[in-house]
Amino acid sequence: MSVAGKLEIKSVSKHYDVDQNRLQVLSGLSFDVHSGHFLSIVGASGCGKSTLLRLISGLDDDYEGDILLSGEHIYGPSLKRGIVFQDHRLLPWLTLEQNIGLSLENTGWSARAKKEAIRAQIELVGLSGFEKAYTHQLSGGMAQRAAIARALANKPEILLLDEPLGALDAITRIRLQEEMLRIWRVEGTTMILVTHDVDEAIFLSNEIVVMSSNPGRITKRFLVNLATPRDRASAEFIELKRQVLVELHLYRQQSKDAQENGIDMASLI
Amino acid sequence: MGDVSIVHTPVGKTYDTRLRDHLLALKMRLGSPIGLILPLVILLLWQTAATFQWVEPVFLPAPRKVAVAFWVMLTKQDLIFDFLASISIVGQSFIYGSTIGIGLGIAAGLSRKFEQFLGVTVDTIRHIPGIAWLPLIVLWLGIGAPAKILVIGKSVFFPLFLNTLQGIRSVEKRHIELGKVLLLSRRQMVLKVILPSAMPSIMVSLRYAAGLAWALVVVAEGLSGLEGLGFLIFRAQGLLLTDQLLVCMVVIGVVGFIIDRQMYALQARILRWQQGFKG
Ligand SMILES: Nc1ncnc2c1ncn2[C@@H]1O[C@H](COP(=O)(O)OP(=O)(O)OP(=O)(O)O)[C@@H](O)[C@H]1O
Ligand SMILES: [Mg+2]
Repeated sequence: MSVAGKLEIKSVSKHYDVDQNRLQVLSGLSFDVHSGHFLSIVGASGCGKSTLLRLISGLDDDYEGDILLSGEHIYGPSLKRGIVFQDHRLLPWLTLEQNIGLSLENTGWSARAKKEAIRAQIELVGLSGFEKAYTHQLSGGMAQRAAIARALANKPEILLLDEPLGALDAITRIRLQEEMLRIWRVEGTTMILVTHDVDEAIFLSNEIVVMSSNPGRITKRFLVNLATPRDRASAEFIELKRQVLVELHLYRQQSKDAQENGIDMASLI
Repeated sequence: MGDVSIVHTPVGKTYDTRLRDHLLALKMRLGSPIGLILPLVILLLWQTAATFQWVEPVFLPAPRKVAVAFWVMLTKQDLIFDFLASISIVGQSFIYGSTIGIGLGIAAGLSRKFEQFLGVTVDTIRHIPGIAWLPLIVLWLGIGAPAKILVIGKSVFFPLFLNTLQGIRSVEKRHIELGKVLLLSRRQMVLKVILPSAMPSIMVSLRYAAGLAWALVVVAEGLSGLEGLGFLIFRAQGLLLTDQLLVCMVVIGVVGFIIDRQMYALQARILRWQQGFKG
């Protein structure tokens, strides 16, 4: 099991300069993610969620404020911080096991340890038998699971997930949510998940951060204290979902009919 | 087919089944039999034209006469020797030209400085056709193999150099980013990310250059030298040996076809990771 570290985001702001115009993307973000916790970020498209994950991953060092992992400033990418991009980003010229092996290149592990880690990860995400498959031979869901396996293989302290299930159909998505929950329990990694799916956020997380745009900022934090395994149809689940949707301005108190409608529309977003 | 018409020999396969096996194997190699229709039609037209003497036999000998000429050239003359001479020149030009092309293409792809350093020179030389270099190079190196290897090698070099460079430059940014989050070293990045993503354009130009080299050797041998298929063609023209001329043409076409199929097979093998690779 990997050692989970505490992540601290302190007054983080970020802007882009687009044609001499200053575009403020993130403004004064502050929150902590405790060791081994599962935090979800929801928010409208363009509010800076991917940008935030890029900052935490170390792909972009150009921001104001502080990001600390286990008390230390992050600097550049690190194997302690794994990331699953929204597109699976498997390299098409590598087989599944080679793709996973790529994240072990610089761990300094022995060849045996690497081989064993690859085998274990493939088993964890349920892709045994596809070790030699190329990316185009995998389904979308399998590719996403492979990307999760790749990010987990080198035992990061923290895993950043950028809408990893966004492109999948509802059935596959629910199956993979359960799988992610199981993986989180087994690995104990600190997780930060960006999602558009409020159900997914409630089902998986200890805490939900709601962001709004222009500039991207945190408007509300919800602690999820529901018993596990979580029942998506339970009253508490639905009540929390209502509160989150209100916060996202996706829910208006209306007649019973419209209300049902509102929920359905929102969960489609 | 009626039972009576087939006479089963007691041992081994009948002539019929052997023929069928043969055709099957041929089909596997040539792809769909539909591709054989046109060559057969052309052969038929040729035969008809020869039979009815639409064209003077001196200018268009009958297919049978060409077949005989092939046999004579093979057994009594040095067709094999000339064939090997051409193949050897093409082989060497291809190996040197593509090695240097890919090598410098990678170097220029990885270093803008190096690309700028080569830029003007490469873009100027590129526009002087290989054949235009031949007279000068023959003055320097004589009419032997080295001059031809240099000229054809140059024609192989450019498509390889340009495509390798372009392939490396078009590597996807998101793949580089992935390499960065996985902390790949420069070396690992080149070997695992950049070169593989340039591979499709390298393979395309390799296949193209192989065909080009084979076509050019005939021209180069025709213009200078005393051996090779190109030399034979122009000699046959001079001596009005049209049957020999046609033999050479058919051999060149068939060999070109085989080279292309082999390159295709290599390409398909190396790029087997590509979805729906069709060449
Ligand atoms: N490289 C860049 N240069 C300029 N502007 C950028 C750049 N990357 C992102 N932006 C801007 O930053 C804002 C936030 O983008 P980001 O990708 O973080 O949004 P997001 O919350 O992930 O949206 P989505 O949910 O649609 O993925 C957008 O307005 C986008 O136009
Ligand atoms: Mg995004």
